[in-house]
Amino acid sequence: MIPQLGYLSLTIALGLAVMLAIFPMWGAKRGNVQLMNTATTLALAVFFFTLLSFLALMYAFVTDDFSVAYVAGHSNTLLPTRYKVTAIWGGHEGSFLLWVFIYSIWMAAVALRSQAIPLLIRARVLGVMGLLSIGFYLFILLMSNPFDSLLPYFPVDGRDLNPLLQDVGMIIHPPLLYMGYVGLSVSFAFAIAALMTGKLDSTWAKWSRPWTVAAWMFLTLGITVGSWWAYYELGWGGWWFWDPVENASLMPWLIATALIHSFAVTEKRGIFKSWTVLLAITAFSLSLVGTFLVRSGIVVSVHAFASDPSRGLFILGFLSVVISASLVLYAVKATHMKSYVKYTMFSREVFLWGNNIILTVATLVVLLGTFMPMIHKELGMGSISIGAPFFSEIFSYLLLPFAMLLGITPLMRWKQNKIGALKKRVIIAVVISVAVGFLWVSLTRSVMDNMAVLGVILAIWVTISTLQGIHAKANSTKQGWSVLAKMSGSEWSMVLGHMGFAVALVGMVLTSAYSVEKDVRMLPGDSIELAGYDFQFKKINPINAENYSGHAAVVEVSYDGEKVAHMVAEKRFYKVQTSVMTEAAVDAGLTRDLFVALGEQFNDGSWALRLYHKPFIRWIWFGGLFMALGGICAMSDKRYRAKRKALIGQPLTDAKPVNLNAEAQA
Amino acid sequence: MNNSSTDKSSTSKNKLWFFLAPFVIFLLLVGFLLKGLFSDPRERDSAIMNQSLPDFALNDLMVDGKQWQKDKLIGEAFLLNVWGTWCITCDQELPYLTELRQQGVKIVGLYYDQSDPDFDEKLDIQQLRLGVSEKLLRLGNPYQFNIFDESREMLLDLGVTGAPETFLVDAKGVIRVHHLGDVNPRVWQSKFAGLYAQLSDENGTISKGGTK
Repeated sequence: MIPQLGYLSLTIALGLAVMLAIFPMWGAKRGNVQLMNTATTLALAVFFFTLLSFLALMYAFVTDDFSVAYVAGHSNTLLPTRYKVTAIWGGHEGSFLLWVFIYSIWMAAVALRSQAIPLLIRARVLGVMGLLSIGFYLFILLMSNPFDSLLPYFPVDGRDLNPLLQDVGMIIHPPLLYMGYVGLSVSFAFAIAALMTGKLDSTWAKWSRPWTVAAWMFLTLGITVGSWWAYYELGWGGWWFWDPVENASLMPWLIATALIHSFAVTEKRGIFKSWTVLLAITAFSLSLVGTFLVRSGIVVSVHAFASDPSRGLFILGFLSVVISASLVLYAVKATHMKSYVKYTMFSREVFLWGNNIILTVATLVVLLGTFMPMIHKELGMGSISIGAPFFSEIFSYLLLPFAMLLGITPLMRWKQNKIGALKKRVIIAVVISVAVGFLWVSLTRSVMDNMAVLGVILAIWVTISTLQGIHAKANSTKQGWSVLAKMSGSEWSMVLGHMGFAVALVGMVLTSAYSVEKDVRMLPGDSIELAGYDFQFKKINPINAENYSGHAAVVEVSYDGEKVAHMVAEKRFYKVQTSVMTEAAVDAGLTRDLFVALGEQFNDGSWALRLYHKPFIRWIWFGGLFMALGGICAMSDKRYRAKRKALIGQPLTDAKPVNLNAEAQA
Repeated sequence: MNNSSTDKSSTSKNKLWFFLAPFVIFLLLVGFLLKGLFSDPRERDSAIMNQSLPDFALNDLMVDGKQWQKDKLIGEAFLLNVWGTWCITCDQELPYLTELRQQGVKIVGLYYDQSDPDFDEKLDIQQLRLGVSEKLLRLGNPYQFNIFDESREMLLDLGVTGAPETFLVDAKGVIRVHHLGDVNPRVWQSKFAGLYAQLSDENGTISKGGTK
């Protein structure tokens, strides 16, 4: 009963979404305030019915309702309750319900939190979001129904959730990532609404920016958590694999990073409008392309859901219509956009734009690397494979100019700069970063690795120039270090975001250059040395848990005779899915991780063990967290709230006649 | 006046093309995605495709002292079938291959032995021949003859990953099809039949031309 109600309320949500796509837009065209006002109510109603549907599926999972095919395929009575709930997004259908549900959350959030925005814009933004959601709801109802029934013959127990996914990472990684992916639809909707009205100005940037930052923040967290999860759960010991689906999340992130910076220029200076709009369209387009990649089976990936060409065809058709329409609208409207603001080559605008270009190039590289094998094959030129070496090489070329610009740009002023004013600071920063970076690596490592030295130097360069920025502000306002307390959310976000980049960079280059691993065959009692650490294989214990059994290897690690870690690496056998899982043991540290994974047992009773020493790997994820924290600071900036209060008193319709004229011209 | 207005419209046209660039790039990508949707991402092209059959000199599996070389094989289109008595899937395709032989398809066997000298498994050729005869008697014998690649060098050159695998070699000794897995009526129709008919036709006209 409940599952059928879930399906029903999803259908109602579709009906409401259709209304949302029509009424407010129609109202905006005709200047009908009443019709435009329906946007908020309809958006909230869509959210409400999607929520009901989501709760219905959750109920089916928690109560082990195996008459629902999706529940029978992804859950089991033995599964702990928290994973029963998590199993909602353990497969294609349910994860798409999560996608739609999160989409409706963003829609409701826009409806509630944008009361300050003129009605005409708000109606169009929500209308565009409603229009997009029709595609999503049709897809889930027609091709990926999570409520499909197995009645009258249903199994007494389910097939269980893939053991790989029975982990805390699975609880948080997909929702965060989807919040990011789907959140980009808000900036997309703002961009389309602005193109329709023909008013792309700094107020548009101001409205759209916090939403974009929010989506970017979730995407950053999602990717960071995903990287951390892959590291400890998959037992691969790496943090990024250039897997097509990882790339699919990296591309929107790179573009969204460019976008939030481009928004800054558009908001502050009213320029780069057409570029900012294009980025906003591209960011969401790439997240649609990512969805297609994951759900069409076009690529081979650990993330890919079971392949089904008809599903792929639907998504491809949908994204073609959405993206084509918006890019054509863009081409037509952008032709008429003009800016009259003057700036010189040596200005913050141009430098920010430079970094935008580098981020875009990086995105194109990832796009090319991801799709090239497929294009190559479809052109009949045979199979090729593009992997980490390609990406690492090109990214290492992009790193130097990117980090240089990243350090120097915040020190610059808008419009123009005198070279002399910057020269002293830059020279100091360069000298310190080269000296400290070189010393750091040469003192702590026995071998000098070029990329590691360069990366560390650039990270210090970014750190020092960020501090110089604060120092310059303290000097000019004559407040000393109390300036820290008076920094705005935006300023903090820049400091944290850039420091986050520096921290992550240190982690990436040091881990890549200095990780060591050993595959060994050990009997209980044996010990082996790795990077100065002594790993002693104490014993092997049998394990017996609710839904799995297996072995646990107890390894004690000591350094200079002093015990530093007690590690338990498990090899689990999941009974229902009859699959084997490696649960690696990780001893985390600020400057190094120790990592032990248990392999197979040999005939003579010895075990295969894989040992890693990974310096500074944790810094990669700390960096990601810093960046996300920066995003939170940016959103909390007073400016966005103050504007809201100021605008509430204004009559909501006063911008309308102008906009209608603009549309008549277009 | 007139002149300047056409100027203006042509620059705005150029501008439109400039702003349409992202759309054009996107359309190209969609084209490839659409094609990619209907092909199997796991399918790998064989490196040996359209290459000439590697040179070899190998013994006959069943007859002592008889040796086969590349030029003794080529001259007309034929199938080279990699198989072994240990291979269960090969059992499945032997009857169908025998049927093909009866239709006039020339099939040469390339025997893939699994005994491993590194694990002290000595090859007993008499035992092996007995096993082969027994199997072919029971399931049908599609082979004109069998080549024995004891050192597995030929298998390595051909890029064989397992058994059964089947190659279609044309009259000039060029490999035209490399199929992994068993040959059944469906596979034969979709992958081999058309090309084989065409190749044996060509061969026919060449030999006819020769007789004139």
